[in-house]
Amino acid sequence: MASISTRAPDANTLEIQCGDCGATLTLPKTQFAAVCPYCASPSVVDRPVTDGGARREAPDFILGFHVPTEEAERRVANWLSRGRLFAPSAIKAAKVTSTRGIYLPAWIFSAVARSRFRASIGENYTTTETYTTTDSKGKTQVRTRTVTKTEWRKLAGEHACYVNDLVVTASSGLGNAELETIEPFDLGALRRYDPAVVSGWAAEEATLDRGAGDAAARDEGMQAVKAKISRFLPGDSSRLESFETDFSEENTDLVLLPIWVFAARYMNGGEEHTLRVLVNGQTGEVQGVLPRSWIKIAAFSIGVIALVAVVVLVIVAAAGGFA
Amino acid sequence: MSAALGQCERCSCPIERGDLRCAVCGLSTPAQDVTEASLRIQILRCGGCGAAVSYDAAAGAPACAFCSSVMHTEELVDPPEQTGAFLPFQVSHDEAASGLKKWLGSRGFFRPADLASSSRLEALKPILWVGWVFDADCDVTWTADSNEGSHRSAWAPHAGRAQLRFDNLLVSASRGLSGKEIDVIAGSYDLNDLREEPAADCALDLGEVHRETFDVQRSAARQRITSAVESAAAAEIAADYVPGRSVRKVHTSVLLRSLETDRLAFPAWVLAYRYKEKLYRAVVSGQDASIMTGEAPISFKRVFAVAAISAAVLFAIVVAIVANA
Repeated sequence: MASISTRAPDANTLEIQCGDCGATLTLPKTQFAAVCPYCASPSVVDRPVTDGGARREAPDFILGFHVPTEEAERRVANWLSRGRLFAPSAIKAAKVTSTRGIYLPAWIFSAVARSRFRASIGENYTTTETYTTTDSKGKTQVRTRTVTKTEWRKLAGEHACYVNDLVVTASSGLGNAELETIEPFDLGALRRYDPAVVSGWAAEEATLDRGAGDAAARDEGMQAVKAKISRFLPGDSSRLESFETDFSEENTDLVLLPIWVFAARYMNGGEEHTLRVLVNGQTGEVQGVLPRSWIKIAAFSIGVIALVAVVVLVIVAAAGGFA
Repeated sequence: MSAALGQCERCSCPIERGDLRCAVCGLSTPAQDVTEASLRIQILRCGGCGAAVSYDAAAGAPACAFCSSVMHTEELVDPPEQTGAFLPFQVSHDEAASGLKKWLGSRGFFRPADLASSSRLEALKPILWVGWVFDADCDVTWTADSNEGSHRSAWAPHAGRAQLRFDNLLVSASRGLSGKEIDVIAGSYDLNDLREEPAADCALDLGEVHRETFDVQRSAARQRITSAVESAAAAEIAADYVPGRSVRKVHTSVLLRSLETDRLAFPAWVLAYRYKEKLYRAVVSGQDASIMTGEAPISFKRVFAVAAISAAVLFAIVVAIVANA
């Protein structure tokens, strides 16, 4: 293990000296693991959590990469070459310009969720009713039939459960919506954070604080609790009208998630565009935010309208024309 | 008895070696050795050849590119379940065999009259079957439909909350004994007398005993135990807490606390007996020879005779009524 001097040339970068070849490397202050471009030595910057200029949070857990570079590249190439209904066709010819495996910081939130809810519960019952009908000879007949009706009753109650394994981003560079597209991660494979696991890879520090993480996680938790309460209601049918949830005994851990970030470029309408594609480094799930091709959407809409018009015309014609 | 290292600060369930987070509520556990970080740049070196070590995605671990040695980090451990304690045998071979005779003689009228005298014992095997015994506190919120307070529909909705305590609830992990067999013999065991090794308080060669193992990982065991607690809670809520006589659609949400689990091996005798060329199986508790369950033949002659007599009596009554009319 080499211990070497560091200095900060400005507030946002960190200059370190490679312990093997002595080269000076500059890396963003939020990154704490790097590979020397000259000698390929992996370095991990360990900074105290408390002192001034220190890192904000030390990670508690880490999920290691399981998808190697070649596998991630193959999956991204497949993903790009897939035909898509509303995206520009030019994406199929996109070229990958950079590939980066990064440990992304995220918060794992768990808590006890106690809720009070109000709901309407539908209880079915059957009843016989009489109705009149005309038979084939034109006579009016009175008949009875059994019908199922629903009686709506009010119900107020409580629901208590643990919510855990809620993952929200701790990086200002990659938002929750984008992270959610490549979730879930198998948290059963967590390990205690160890610098050896980030060695040789890029790793980012938490840039969103615990408070912001907790707020986002509570929002996600609220959705999870709502789904649980909806399934919890009795009756033949039910409507959840309102609920209030109180989270207590909260806990938040910082975890590093393995993510492959691919940048791709493609030409469309004579202009160059960029595209970011993410790969879950544990499961291999690929997602990217695709632009919409308005030409394709317009063509599709016109096609649908034309089809409906043809169907209507055929039906009208079959029914004897407009006469 | 339990392999716990400590308790979860949130739900008081035991934390076992290798747990990074509580299996019940998800609270993280403290690191086993915390080293103080200071400002430094680390290049991690291979202990074998001194080359720089980096994390290898294909190996799923930090590995040295030169000598292929792999570094180990603190990971979630999911070991196979191990038996923690044994209940001693208190029923000997002969006691189990005579238990069978008594049991066969008390099977009721519809069994063959010579069942006890003509049955031949074919095999009698001592086994230690395994299961989890747990205690838990549950804060249960529930909803259900019942007839209580119903209007037009036969059902009305209800909701409530209850604090339940479970002591010594058994979940079988046995593959040799069926759930039905275990339900019968489970009540016969003394859970206060646990031994570290297989033991017998009666004449028995422990070498003959077939020992079952759990054959599941810890994580799967915890899932089975948690779902057993949930179904026990749902059954108790339906029986004792939902008002009304008829109940349906019971939903429960369980906040589990202080879940303590023991992994035990229970003694039993599995026996096979032959009656008129056919083999039947029975199971005797290894701690009480009078607790037994199994299959026994039915005497179709006796069933037919009772049916014929009942039909004749019914016919006579009908004839009498018709004659009177």
